[in-house]
Amino acid sequence: MPVEKKRVSRFELLMDAGFGAQKAGDILIRAFAHTGRFVFIEPMIPAEISPPARSRPALSGAMIRVADFDLKNSGNETDIILAQHEIVLDRRLDDNEHSPTCRILLDIADKKANEDSYESVCKRATKQGLTITTFEVCEDGKNLIKGMGGKGKNMYYLGMLSAIYSVPEEAMVTEIKMIFGKKLKEEILEKNIQIFHFGYLFAQANIDFSIIIEEKELTSGDKILIDGNSALAMGIIDAGFKLLSGYPITPASSIMHTLAKVFPSYGGMVHQAEDEISAIGTAIGAYYGGVPSLTATSGPGLSLKQEFIGYAAVAEVPLVVIDVQRSGPSTGMPTKTEQSDLSAVIWGSHGDHTKIVIGVGNVLDCFYAPIMARYLAEKLRLPVFILSDFIMANSYKVIDKPKPIELGSIEDIPQKILDHFWIGRLPDEIEMVRSDQSDPGTPGHMRRITGLNTDQDGKVNYFSETNQRSHAVRNEKVHHVQRALRMPDLFGSVEEGEILVIGWGTTRGAVAEAVHSCQDQGLSVGGFCFRIVYPLPLILTSVMSKFKHVVTVEAAYGDVMKKPPLAMLLRSKTLIDVQTILCQATGRPISPKSIEAKIKDILNGIPV
Amino acid sequence: MASPSEEIKTENQPLTVKDLNTENPRWCAGCGDFSIIMALKRFMVERQLIPHQTVNISGIGCSGRASFYINSYGVHSIHGRAIPVAMGLALTKPELKLFIHSGDGDAISIGGGHLIHGINKNFNCVFILYDNELYALTKSQTSPTTRKGHKTNTQPSGTYLDPIHPTSLALGVGASFVASTADWLPDHLVSTLKAAYDHSGFAFVHVSQRCPHFDPNNFDHKETSWFTFLEHENGIPVDKRLVGKVETIKHDPLDRLQAFKHAIDPRVYFGLFFQDKEKPRYDVILQNQVKDAKQKARSSILDSFNL
Repeated sequence: MPVEKKRVSRFELLMDAGFGAQKAGDILIRAFAHTGRFVFIEPMIPAEISPPARSRPALSGAMIRVADFDLKNSGNETDIILAQHEIVLDRRLDDNEHSPTCRILLDIADKKANEDSYESVCKRATKQGLTITTFEVCEDGKNLIKGMGGKGKNMYYLGMLSAIYSVPEEAMVTEIKMIFGKKLKEEILEKNIQIFHFGYLFAQANIDFSIIIEEKELTSGDKILIDGNSALAMGIIDAGFKLLSGYPITPASSIMHTLAKVFPSYGGMVHQAEDEISAIGTAIGAYYGGVPSLTATSGPGLSLKQEFIGYAAVAEVPLVVIDVQRSGPSTGMPTKTEQSDLSAVIWGSHGDHTKIVIGVGNVLDCFYAPIMARYLAEKLRLPVFILSDFIMANSYKVIDKPKPIELGSIEDIPQKILDHFWIGRLPDEIEMVRSDQSDPGTPGHMRRITGLNTDQDGKVNYFSETNQRSHAVRNEKVHHVQRALRMPDLFGSVEEGEILVIGWGTTRGAVAEAVHSCQDQGLSVGGFCFRIVYPLPLILTSVMSKFKHVVTVEAAYGDVMKKPPLAMLLRSKTLIDVQTILCQATGRPISPKSIEAKIKDILNGIPV
Repeated sequence: MASPSEEIKTENQPLTVKDLNTENPRWCAGCGDFSIIMALKRFMVERQLIPHQTVNISGIGCSGRASFYINSYGVHSIHGRAIPVAMGLALTKPELKLFIHSGDGDAISIGGGHLIHGINKNFNCVFILYDNELYALTKSQTSPTTRKGHKTNTQPSGTYLDPIHPTSLALGVGASFVASTADWLPDHLVSTLKAAYDHSGFAFVHVSQRCPHFDPNNFDHKETSWFTFLEHENGIPVDKRLVGKVETIKHDPLDRLQAFKHAIDPRVYFGLFFQDKEKPRYDVILQNQVKDAKQKARSSILDSFNL
């Protein structure tokens, strides 16, 4: 097994849903992380629970990128694919995310019954110049798997992949015991380890290539392995929220699942409402009572919540809404990613719009965002959104363990959090439409809220001047945020020049990597991503003016005659001719390489 | 709904109806809504409820304005959705006394989904259904409780379908407390509110309510021959003014099946249809989860993610 040294590599394990591909991925990345490698993992999750085996919708798997440097995204191309059968392989080849020299390991256990199908998929791969190595689980392995009712194949593949990536067997066994130790009976655990061992030996003896990623000395301090939705859930606790009111929806539900298990131990409740509208209504009711509460949803739920969002703004009840975006419109693709909700969030709900929008771009953002959101929501008594998305929610990586903030009153928000979101502290006194904002239970105040227009005393009032004042006061709250916003940090050192690349949320890792790579090549390319996407900082126009081309990268649809949401927003705000170099709504993340290619096109004079 | 010891007003002066008035309601003269909020105020005075620990929550429609006409805390929410808002308060601020005001269109049409689940979750509140059997604020359209044949602006040849019976709906989804009364029976209305308030859980109070503007002939409030009071030692006392002048029958509020029969009977019954004091309360279940959980410091929240 000749060993090839690499700085970074990406591989995929593709299986039928329900066979534990993601579990195998979890084990492997823990081993990588413990042995001083950096990882980024993106699970592939089918939209249905148990699609028929050996069908295209059944594809379930893990895409793992491993490197000797810190990774911020899932990268460009896959070097190695291990597929349980030809159908999942065929499905995945459609996405065209493999490198031209990708090596494929294909299990041919089902081949006899599906000769033609195997033939045609192998032909397809060979035609593209990919190398296919077929294999079958060894006899001893087969017997053990048979004895476990067909389960355990993932462990065999795990063994193969760890041998290929030169992870020591002992390190792997330690992780397997860590993950399964408490859940499986001793005897079953032993069998799983045995199957793993067979896979490991098989690859060592039969696969003619292997890769080693250099070990880096682990930096001191505790590390955690966490995904975006878990980080949000823990951030919700850390921010001092006491109620999450939600309705099941992919890909937001796991926030509710995580909190349902642990929230009561931190004085919090999870309320599963009868529908999306009810869920937000209950969050508003609790916050009217002075108890920090929030709701989490995804696209279709966001549409349903719109009336209450406007109500919260007018009634001046703090409101925090998490929207884990998925591919839309309508039901769209529940387990694919997109950033197209930005417009619905900023301009949504009828009448004038006064909202604040936070976009998360990594797991640390996810952990801190609830604190930022609570500060803004209570300070301004306006709706505040946290926009995540399917990839953010489900990808996870190893980070230095942040120290929880344990927020009490919002005025105690640490400078560190404000700095993280590039915003200054808001003024102590912020004018409200109604001067009395007492919580129920406060003697003598009797605050009564309504969606009707009111005067300063809270009385229903339809006079023109009063209504105009209410608009002005609500909008002034948003303007306070504009004035407090600082410019997001630029990637690298280019502050003026040819091209400025702008993104927000989920594309940040890829934009950063592409911009840094261009700068390493001496190209005049700058870039940044927003963490607060709405409103925008006042200084923005002058920063953008220092570049010849300003372009956005967005996982949202756009074409020659239609700008995607961020480009549209930036154009209207700055009157700068912002173009878009990538606006794809494929459901897949945008790769750094594709951004870099587009940047070079512009530098070479190819029009956007 | 409360432990009586909490109800005494702490200020030196006892609470009066005047303390509970706000502005002049913008309702039509003769509207039944006046009588309903007056009954609620009389009840609050009788029990000396603390206004700042009381929240009136309403939806949209004529009834929606009720929350602005009672000097307590209040939420005039959006159409059909007072129940979810009240749920937020019931879960997180159990010390507050909650009264929900909702019309027939608000509660049974646009808010029908919430009503089912509010009843089923049995969270602690008094739910008052202002049933004038049509949409009024939007100017006379057919509602789910409009009687068949009644002409409205949306069904001008006469309402097409038979109405939904609110009491039978409530019984059908397992309400723990179902009573019915009328805005022109002030004594019975106050007694009904008392019984509802004393009930632990979601107390469903149906009130037949006159709309003199759009349907003046609907309820003949001067005539008593068309309704019957349900009477029982565990029920709601017959209206004082009508004792001996109106038909009454014995009905045990534990008898759910008989309650159904009365609810779907073409004849109108007022009184306590059903009460189940043992039905679990969702708000208490969630509050107990917090109470029973071993409390942890937030500094530990990320420990389970340690590599």
